[in-house]
Amino acid sequence: MWWSRLRPLWPEATSIRARLLWQLGIVFVCGMVILYWAATSYARYAADSSFDRVLLGSAGSIAETLSITADGEVRADIPYAALDMLSAAPDDRVFYRVLGTDGATLTGYSDLPLDRNTRPVSNAMEQVRFFDATYMEEPVRFVVMGRQVRIGQQSGWIWVQVGQTREARRNLAQELTIRAVLPILALTVIAIAVVWISVGRAVRPIEAIGEDLAARNSSDLSPINAPVPADIAPLVGAVNQFMARLDNNMGVLRTFIATAAHQLRTPLTALLVQIRSAELATGKDRDESVSAASQSASRLARLVNQLLSDAMVTHRADEKRVGPFDLKKVIEQSLQNTLSISNEADVRFTTTLQTAPMVGDEVMIAEAIKNLIHNALTHGSSGGDGDDAIALALRAIDDGLELSIADTGPGIGNDMLSTVGDRFRSGMENRGGAGLGLAIVKQVAESHGGSLLLENRPERGLNVILWLPQS
Amino acid sequence: MTRLLQLMLLQLSAIWLAACAQQPEKASHGRDIGDVVTIYSTTDTTIFEPVIADFKKLHPDIRLNYVELDGQPLFDRFLRESRAGKPQADIVLSSAMDLQVKLVNDGYTQKHRSVNADALPTWAKWRSEIFGLTFEPVVMVANPALFSDRSLPKTRLDLVKSLRARPAFWRGRIGTYDITASSVGYLLAGQDARQSNEYGALIGAMGEADARTYQNVSALIDDIASGKVALGYNVLGSYAKRRVAQGAKLRIIYPEDYTLAVVRAAFIAKDAPNSKGAHIFLEYLMSLRGQRILATRSDLAAVREEVSGRYARLDISGAALGPLRPIPIGPGLMTYLDQQKRQRFLENWRAALDQPRQK
Repeated sequence: MWWSRLRPLWPEATSIRARLLWQLGIVFVCGMVILYWAATSYARYAADSSFDRVLLGSAGSIAETLSITADGEVRADIPYAALDMLSAAPDDRVFYRVLGTDGATLTGYSDLPLDRNTRPVSNAMEQVRFFDATYMEEPVRFVVMGRQVRIGQQSGWIWVQVGQTREARRNLAQELTIRAVLPILALTVIAIAVVWISVGRAVRPIEAIGEDLAARNSSDLSPINAPVPADIAPLVGAVNQFMARLDNNMGVLRTFIATAAHQLRTPLTALLVQIRSAELATGKDRDESVSAASQSASRLARLVNQLLSDAMVTHRADEKRVGPFDLKKVIEQSLQNTLSISNEADVRFTTTLQTAPMVGDEVMIAEAIKNLIHNALTHGSSGGDGDDAIALALRAIDDGLELSIADTGPGIGNDMLSTVGDRFRSGMENRGGAGLGLAIVKQVAESHGGSLLLENRPERGLNVILWLPQS
Repeated sequence: MTRLLQLMLLQLSAIWLAACAQQPEKASHGRDIGDVVTIYSTTDTTIFEPVIADFKKLHPDIRLNYVELDGQPLFDRFLRESRAGKPQADIVLSSAMDLQVKLVNDGYTQKHRSVNADALPTWAKWRSEIFGLTFEPVVMVANPALFSDRSLPKTRLDLVKSLRARPAFWRGRIGTYDITASSVGYLLAGQDARQSNEYGALIGAMGEADARTYQNVSALIDDIASGKVALGYNVLGSYAKRRVAQGAKLRIIYPEDYTLAVVRAAFIAKDAPNSKGAHIFLEYLMSLRGQRILATRSDLAAVREEVSGRYARLDISGAALGPLRPIPIGPGLMTYLDQQKRQRFLENWRAALDQPRQK
């Protein structure tokens, strides 16, 4: 909007009070200027119209004395009142003259200025014109009154011109202007004072909230309960919501730490026991113990990796670093990374798509896919009989992309299909997984507005379907 | 001692002249302008003398150059000099109020603002440029010796009736201003024409009585005192009062229908050579001290009421006086200066007063 350009007038941090006063000030100053202009022109008009009446009266009283003698001479007998009545404007100079039919001055000031429009008009018997002119270095208001007269056979016009300096008019106009503008000036001062005080009052609850928050200890995330004006209720609501979320996250973190500690402690203890027994054992027993310890160690490493991955995903889910990327490329890269570790598996990736553009957090998605592949590699094989193939397929469906990963493992019990994905509730917990892998995938899917679906294949194995919206 | 003083004065003036030489625009008038204030006035020098003397006591550094002129010549000279751009007068003081007002209206004057100016009655000033300084009733002056067997006329109507009733007594024995020659006389006649219903009748009757006309009021009073003229009409009261004070047997009559009062009006010339000095002198004239001197030493009643009460200053009780009508200073006064009006007014006046002589 156009008014957004006005913003640079003040820095964002300027106080509400200053902004209001500034805006109000502009409104009032504009108002004053307009009003002053209007008042000035009206006052001038009013002063002119009232003094013009006297001026006209003066000219009229002179015109009444005009007479024409038998030999065609025009005579004027200036009445005392004609000039005396003009002292209604007490300090103004007075000029007058009478012009004959030939335009020559019969009596009075012969060099008074006339304006261009003073000339006979059609058939009117009498005409009157007011105008301003400069005479004797002073602005003077003149009236010219014309009368049609008949001298012998001819008719002509006689003119009476009366003028008066503008001093009294100026004074009256000034007084009228000041009287009109003064109340507005007073109103401005009052309005600014009112704004000053009421902004102070309006801001008071915000200050109170600030004081309340400052006084709290760091773990107190209870909502703000102080009554606040409706205008800042959304802000307080948002703060409360934010604090609730923070509280919830803290809770999740606490349980996570507790569970993680528990999850790590058990395999660590087992590992220590196995190493100790390996140290004591000899021969075949020793080999078995070392192999068991190695297995435990690799399981522990995976657990730690998953915990870190989960923490990373959780962190990134809060941050939402979103950008466009190609899902197909991400899948291919994830496959490369994962397969370099366990290269004996048979993994196939099929898709008809040339590219699979989507918008989301590329790193999170890659993590999810790696987890899925890893999951399939770990749990999806039946045990070395050669047909443990893992099939990845990507296709576009319903404004989104669907990645399905089918393995040939034992699958999971139907009663557990729905709970898979909850942290530490892995269907394969007893087989070394901490249940974090699918939990991570599920969280990634949800944070992108997608979904994760698990189904047991009719013949054998598990089919994991990850659906992600494209944008 | 005196020599020393003179020497000091000489030195001072030498220093002052040197200072002046550095200000060529001020020296261009070719005379010492710093300490001389020139006054054009219609008031007799002798009457004004005490004022000048008192002012000198107050401001020994300012010299007053007092030029006495009649109303119309004063007006003409001032106008001529002003138009030529060589103004000589700093202050103009005249009882020809109408001519004074005309000069103000036509922009030949400058403003003067002060507390003393504010203290003047509103009818005695205009535009803060012209100020009435004195207050002089216009009276009839009679020689009581000639009226021993009859009562004096108290109003204009009385006078008209008397003139008509006793033409033999009045023939050549009524005097008034020659309004064609005296500007104050013209001003008063105009005011009479405006204010009085009897004016036409009065002029007519005076014409019938073969009235004598005077340019100078002193000459008229002389003739009244000597008995040559029985009654003078429209005489400035101050002149008559002074003559009474000097011992002349005169009776001053304040007309009871109305008594006009003129003010001597002063203004400062727009391009006064010594504007500063002019302001100082005008301020002095309006001050209580100056007004008091005017009233007590010059016998010109002061315009400021603080100096003396309205009637007290006329030395008569209010009861014996009709309505007192001071002629207000204002643009209305220019009415009778209108070319056509003046011409006709004078024509009528001449016709009324000259007619009998032509018979």
